[in-house]
Amino acid sequence: MHFTIQRDAFVHSVQHVNKAVSSRTTIPILTGIKIEATNYGVTLTGSDSDISIETFIPASDGEKEYVTIKEEGSIVLQARFFAEIVKKLPGEEIEVAVQDQFATTLRSGSVVFNLNGLDPEEYPRLPQLDEDNHFQMPQNLLKDMVRQTVFAVSTQETRPVLTGVNLEGEESELICTATDSHRLAMRKASVETKTGAMSLSNVVIPGKSLNELNKVLEDSTELVDIIVTESQVLFKFENLLFFSRLLDGKYPVTKNMIPDHAKTELVLRTKELLSSLERALLLSREAKNNVINLKTMNNSEIEVSSVSAEVGKVTEKISCDTMEGEELRISFNGKNIMDALKVIDSETIKIRFTGAMSPFTVQPTDHDQMLHLFSPVRTY
Amino acid sequence: MENRIIFLIDMQSFYANLEKLAHPLLTDKPVVVAGDPSIRSGVILAACPTAKSYGIQTAEPIWQAQNKCPHVHILKPHMQFYVNVSVTISSFLEQYSAAVEPYSIDEVFLELPAMEQGKAEQLAQHIKQRLLREIGVQARIGIGTTKVYAKMACDHFAKESRTGTAVLNDANAAELLWPLPIGRLFSVGNRMETHLLNMGIRTIGQLARHPLYDLKKRWGINGELLWQTARGYDTSPVSPSTHQKRKSIGHHMTLPRDYYHWSEIKVVLRELSEEVSRRSRQHTSLGQVVSIGAVGQEYGFKRSFHRQQRLFEPTNSGRVIFETASALFKEYWDGTPIRSLGISLSSLQPAHYKQLSLFDTDEDLDSLYHTIDQLKDKYGMDAVLHASSLSPAGQAMIRAKKIGGHYK
Repeated sequence: MHFTIQRDAFVHSVQHVNKAVSSRTTIPILTGIKIEATNYGVTLTGSDSDISIETFIPASDGEKEYVTIKEEGSIVLQARFFAEIVKKLPGEEIEVAVQDQFATTLRSGSVVFNLNGLDPEEYPRLPQLDEDNHFQMPQNLLKDMVRQTVFAVSTQETRPVLTGVNLEGEESELICTATDSHRLAMRKASVETKTGAMSLSNVVIPGKSLNELNKVLEDSTELVDIIVTESQVLFKFENLLFFSRLLDGKYPVTKNMIPDHAKTELVLRTKELLSSLERALLLSREAKNNVINLKTMNNSEIEVSSVSAEVGKVTEKISCDTMEGEELRISFNGKNIMDALKVIDSETIKIRFTGAMSPFTVQPTDHDQMLHLFSPVRTY
Repeated sequence: MENRIIFLIDMQSFYANLEKLAHPLLTDKPVVVAGDPSIRSGVILAACPTAKSYGIQTAEPIWQAQNKCPHVHILKPHMQFYVNVSVTISSFLEQYSAAVEPYSIDEVFLELPAMEQGKAEQLAQHIKQRLLREIGVQARIGIGTTKVYAKMACDHFAKESRTGTAVLNDANAAELLWPLPIGRLFSVGNRMETHLLNMGIRTIGQLARHPLYDLKKRWGINGELLWQTARGYDTSPVSPSTHQKRKSIGHHMTLPRDYYHWSEIKVVLRELSEEVSRRSRQHTSLGQVVSIGAVGQEYGFKRSFHRQQRLFEPTNSGRVIFETASALFKEYWDGTPIRSLGISLSSLQPAHYKQLSLFDTDEDLDSLYHTIDQLKDKYGMDAVLHASSLSPAGQAMIRAKKIGGHYK
């Protein structure tokens, strides 16, 4: 294998695939990045067996020449060193050449690195996915959906299925749900399908995969293809493939958890509640429980308070735009509410309570594509 | 650290001597305290020195003791009384130092300010006399520069010494402690003794001189701990809170006979779960780790296992504890007849706040538990029971009348 490549394009690609490489893998070859050169261009692959990323740098795209291929072939190089090295090479171009025994030379400007490579034949092949279940959506919408749900996944391995985001799709509506059993984040969107009707259920993508995917997603309206199989999901970009394993197990039914009535309903400004919670959490963070108390007052005001036995207490009044229904005193994990408020883009929110001991919802007022559900904290 | 002075004060034949205090007519008679003769706990819990002179030993069955000494007086235990005296002794010792740590019902650690060894021995004699005169208990005192030295001084030397006290420190350990067989090292149990003997380590001194890296390689931190114990290293403080700050809440019971069937074991597991659950509510605690321990015996071989599981959320619900414990039990039980069972809840946290779950609303269960607790407080532990506890396998009715497995 022997080729010369534009440094910037190469570095960009290497950094993408490096996101999938983990130093803690049990399969030694996966600590490397696979480089394959053909007359069409250069393909890079990185994987930790949960996530796999493949990028392609074409020889040229009509406007610009990226790669000059002198000899086809492939090699696997240790990601830890290779990714750092290419970033620090000085020249505009990098020359990559493999000699006998996988010995590889990287040359750029007057710098030469000789690296010991690994046998590319040992590198596992990426899955070939059946493209039956296939839909498309703009990158920026997918990015939003991920950002607005993935924070709510569970971090505890005792219920593995909750560490992922669940995808359900019917007709042209896609629903993403994440919950750690104390809070739930749900986001809907309409998407385009190739086959007409989309049918997804119990497609649970690990939260960790989505966090990595989010780094690859760009804030553009360019479409991304999403292909779902029994055990894998593939996000297909122009020159990048992102594979993730799906989580086993039945995702809990969440539809019937969302209350359809309200005893107390508030509308208030998102930012005001957010900064009030930030202040109140200064004290409850000390007590390590993040418990915030909320009480409805007369004249459409609520009182937000927090107590720490060692430090002291804080109370604050917020006036609501509207307040309807019964009086209420409730306690909840303020950190969870803050996490949700940070991903709500609407200026005002609606909170619907169903009693001090039962779940409540927080939603933006300007659309119904998003819903956050919380269970309260009982205090003695 | 060199100059630490730590006493381990051990009450001699504690239960038996306390019974003699309560029954002065028996002062010169052989007296033993024993569990109920009709069930398995019918073994000698404590024997007074007079009884011991007939060859009666702790933990032997009652009939065996009666063979050795037909006129021995057998008394039922009064655990509450013993606990009360034990607490009195601890508070008596607080006159000497604030660092008083009850180690068991009849053993207390006491750390004193630095002083000369001679002074320490005098003080030990003085404490011994006061305990006898003011509370009526015979004590033996081990004096050491660390807790392990104090404990071993008491166990191995004070008991045999004429004065009832003994000193162990770096200066005399090689001479006194090191020639002892390895099984007598504090913290070495049967299994560990076998392991060590297999390695060719037969005395405490051999262990102390054994290369540390080898022990660390075999048992990690525990190996190092063992080696330190042999050398008398122990930096742990005598802290009054050791017994107050709980790390876990657990219950254990020895069954009246071996249980062979899951249908019987299940009944006891449920009772243990409910007791653990009730006690964690009394401590306003929630726990996130459930452990189960079981000891079985078949053809004379002891078989035991101990397993634990971390829960998704902290709990003090008897139902959750039972479900977790029984799943663990069923997974690891190999069918050996079971003679004792224990369940504990650890990784404790205060229950003043409880994050409710979106998935199951256990609010109803909480008020149920609250009501049951109130009924039990008012009418006794056997006021409300699971129906299964009324089956022959159930132990709750009998346990309601006992403390620590013995009659109140």
